[in-house]
Amino acid sequence: MRHYHPITPYLFIGPMIGGLLLFRIGPIFASFLMSFTNWNIRTNPTWIGLANYQELLSSDVFWLVLRNTFVFVLTYVPGAMILGLLMALLVNQKLRGIAFFRGLYFMPFITSMVAVALAWNWIFSTRYGVLNGILTTFFGVQRGPAWLSDTNLTLWVLIVVSIWKSAGFQMMVFLAGLQGIPQNIIEAARIDGANRLQMFRHIVLPLLSPVTFFVLIVSIIDAFKTFEVTYTMTQGGPRGSSSTLAYFIYQNAFVYQRMGYASSIAYVLVLLIAIVTIANFWVRRYWVAQQVN
Amino acid sequence: MNAAIVRRTVSAVTARAHSYYALHTARRLLIYALLLLVSVFTIFPFVWMVSTSFKSAGTIFALPPQLIPDKLFQPGMFDNYTEVLYRYDFVRYTANSFFVSTMTGIGQVFTASLAGFAFARMRFRGRNALFAILLLTAFFPTEVTIIPEFLLGARVFHPILQPIGGWMNTFAPLIVPSFMVGSFGTFLMREFFSTIPLELEEAAIIDGASVFQIFRSVYLPLSLPSVTTLFLLSFINNWNELLRPVLYIRSRELYTVTLGLTTFKGEFESAWNLLLAGSVIAILPLLIIYVFAQRYIVQGIATTGLRG
Repeated sequence: MRHYHPITPYLFIGPMIGGLLLFRIGPIFASFLMSFTNWNIRTNPTWIGLANYQELLSSDVFWLVLRNTFVFVLTYVPGAMILGLLMALLVNQKLRGIAFFRGLYFMPFITSMVAVALAWNWIFSTRYGVLNGILTTFFGVQRGPAWLSDTNLTLWVLIVVSIWKSAGFQMMVFLAGLQGIPQNIIEAARIDGANRLQMFRHIVLPLLSPVTFFVLIVSIIDAFKTFEVTYTMTQGGPRGSSSTLAYFIYQNAFVYQRMGYASSIAYVLVLLIAIVTIANFWVRRYWVAQQVN
Repeated sequence: MNAAIVRRTVSAVTARAHSYYALHTARRLLIYALLLLVSVFTIFPFVWMVSTSFKSAGTIFALPPQLIPDKLFQPGMFDNYTEVLYRYDFVRYTANSFFVSTMTGIGQVFTASLAGFAFARMRFRGRNALFAILLLTAFFPTEVTIIPEFLLGARVFHPILQPIGGWMNTFAPLIVPSFMVGSFGTFLMREFFSTIPLELEEAAIIDGASVFQIFRSVYLPLSLPSVTTLFLLSFINNWNELLRPVLYIRSRELYTVTLGLTTFKGEFESAWNLLLAGSVIAILPLLIIYVFAQRYIVQGIATTGLRG
């Protein structure tokens, strides 16, 4: 197609580029600069160099939040991925009604976190919650744990709820990957006498690895960004025990109104995501099968 | 003798067939059992949510907790729902969410299909670089961009737009950002437009159609499934969006359903039957859309890993 004015393509991408500049690229640079300032929303910003970052490094709360974030990432990612893969294997069958189950398992992923978090809040309620009710009735536990106020438990509750909510997503992506594996390869392995476990280990997993890589990247980024579940279920508490970086940013920016300090935390988050993602691309060739065309 | 062999063979074959069949049935039952087990884990919170939403205030704290709600099929069964919908204004919140989500959906389709078309089918300087930047910026979490976005709104847009109602505490900050940028949407549309055979547009060019006419009358109609997917994903994302409503909306009459729910929770800490009726109201519209458009939604999310 050559029948257009050289300006025309820019008209087509114009709205997108405008939005990109105003709401993405502009803010990305702005928050970087802001991280070197002291900016309470009512006053004008003052340049304070690296002071925000220095404050972060000497803040106990920051290290607690950082630790929580890593615990979250390191448990949520394998949890959601393994559960998602198992669910994908389970629903990758030719059975009557299988589409119904697939639809059902995916359902939590599209529902509002606020709404389901309320239900989980109620389930985990210490005195009247159904979970502790079940523990008392069927397992004779006298007093169930205080799931949402015990500092040793809150983060784990958030992790479980997050895995519950997103496992259907990991499942769907794995399922698409499983269905893309050519049937004749599986057939050939069967004829060669491979058992199910061998086929899974030596054929399915390697062929699935590009999909696994995609799921891994997306899941890690999601875990680092976790906010809504924290906001609705625990508000990061008690005493910061369930706070993670994204929530900590929100809290500093919009509760304590420390825009500059919050921006420096945001850049720590960006840095972490970048390092982990680049590291993943780096080690990719050691375990991800190459596309052969 | 021959007949004996045949008989023996036949019986051996049928025995094997039977055991194979039995194995098959056992395996099948096992799979169904597992499927049901996972279903329980998946839907239990929903079941409990619905059950609680049909309980009266007096019975939500019953010990041990009851699965079958006391108001079920009793007069006044939907009392909690009518109370939440009318007294606590969830009718309005739901309508607001509908408006915001529809507008962002339309916006996404508009900008992403235009940009996707240009990236797929036009040549211009900086095309690949711009596309790369568009995808790269999607990796920056909202938490990074939201602070400058908020300040830009409060300090620049709000004063400028003051004569026509301002920016803060309006729907504009909920709609405009996702109206204008959508990396995954553009990606989705570009992928789709690239698959359309060039011969189709050549015929249109011979007929003397302009680029925009070709886009509108050749490409857009063909891309209806992708457009539907894009619209629905954007609708869902914005329906569930929490952060921007929390930051920008102050007046109750502008609350979205997610903001309404969180505020409601702060005010009625222990009215679980009402809170969960509100949750059901927040979830139900999406669930209905999901049931009817599952194919589009699942495909779109599984191929782009999409949010935003």
